[in-house]
Amino acid sequence: MSDRRRINGPVGATIPPVSEDGASREVAGSRGGRSRPPNAIRKMYLKTGVTPSASGSAYLEIETSGRSGVSGLKLSCTVHGPRSLPRSSPFSPHIILSTHVKYAPFATRQRRGYLRDPSERDLGTHLEAALRGAIIADRWPKSGVDIIVSIIEGDQDRETSKTQGDESWDLMNALSGCITVASAALADAGIDCVDTVAGGVAALVSDKGDASPSIVIDPIPSEHDRILAACCIAYLPTRDEVTNLWFKGDLPASDTELYTKLVEKGIQASAKANRVLVECLGETVG
Amino acid sequence: MATSSGTTSVAIPGQLLGPASKFQPGPGTHIHNANLYSSLLGVVHASQPAKPPGPAKRLTKITVPTQTPAELPTLSVSRTGVSEKREVLPEVGNTVLCRVTRITPRQAVVAILICGDTVLEAEWQGLIRVQDVRATEKDKVKIYESFRPGDIVRAEVISLGDQANFYLSTARNELGVILATSEAGNNMYPVNWKEYMDPETGLSELRKVAKPY
Repeated sequence: MSDRRRINGPVGATIPPVSEDGASREVAGSRGGRSRPPNAIRKMYLKTGVTPSASGSAYLEIETSGRSGVSGLKLSCTVHGPRSLPRSSPFSPHIILSTHVKYAPFATRQRRGYLRDPSERDLGTHLEAALRGAIIADRWPKSGVDIIVSIIEGDQDRETSKTQGDESWDLMNALSGCITVASAALADAGIDCVDTVAGGVAALVSDKGDASPSIVIDPIPSEHDRILAACCIAYLPTRDEVTNLWFKGDLPASDTELYTKLVEKGIQASAKANRVLVECLGETVG
Repeated sequence: MATSSGTTSVAIPGQLLGPASKFQPGPGTHIHNANLYSSLLGVVHASQPAKPPGPAKRLTKITVPTQTPAELPTLSVSRTGVSEKREVLPEVGNTVLCRVTRITPRQAVVAILICGDTVLEAEWQGLIRVQDVRATEKDKVKIYESFRPGDIVRAEVISLGDQANFYLSTARNELGVILATSEAGNNMYPVNWKEYMDPETGLSELRKVAKPY
């Protein structure tokens, strides 16, 4: 651990042991099975203006899947600026975005460090790409804006063992939440945007009962046996433009249109999240 | 500024406000595909163009009535009511209030505090070069006879400047030092266009004095 300035917690999992009585076995048995229709996203709660000291802020919560031990996604985003650039930086005719995404140390099953690790940096880069397409950057020359997203709860099933499920799929859900919450915070901060951008995830999953893999939106990795591929889309609904596309996984070669279908479903998920965003922003003013 | 009835509504970024052929874009809006869209979260205001001053004169010649862009109402989205905080960027032509932080023989470095009537949240740095201090006898200007650190200066933005500074000018009568402190630490009052006087010690100090409104 390179962080020597703080007293760090123990490295590694800090999950209390789950005793194997009847109830827990039942929970384990009922694992899997998606409780929603394949084209429905989970309920989400979005609120702006939660951090008084920031120029703009927002809080996003996505409900859990309803079982005990499964946490939802909780994100808090603060926007600082527009403010002047540091003296060392060169002249910029447009606003300079800097995005930081950080998991809280307790957000996931595997405890996170205080410093940003490569996956968090990766999320920050994707978030910046998604927001840059939505911002009218030349309204604010010579300025910078900091967008900081804290992931308070990381949308993970704490009862599955470490080997089950791949954490890399969780990053997709986290990114789509980050995009939606950052968009709300930017609007709250009064930074010019061409549209509200929201994130959506679609995945190609295969379950034991099904003959062929199917496409679902807003997937929870622990609810499916296997995720073959997933894509996270940042989409501007009134412009009908995609500002960021992150695709991961392997598609079966049999269906050539599968990729397009997956992207379309991702856009659909994003459009649904955007309805929440629009509602929330309307409440902010009204 | 007349607000037409029924237009005070809420807009979110990306919301369609109307065709660009019927409205002029104001602050907080942008044009895409010949349509006017909101780019901020806020309240929509429509302001009618100012009528030409004076009573309508008797027609002395017949002109073809043309719909010039200036006759279109301007739509703007403002953030009043959303939040009290309002960050603005100093623009060329704005009058700003600033505090002098550092002087050198060639320039005075200032911190911009107020832009127009808005108190700025962030700190923006400005620069008054020796040739921009006053309009006449520019070659005889000395920075230390015009500004001292701690003075409050009313100035005009003349350029977006380089990476760090806005370029400001005080080359007008009503621009210059409006609040100055003497070497003894007392607030001084202006006596003429280039002197401030300390009421307690009676000593006068040189400044580029702003003409009182």
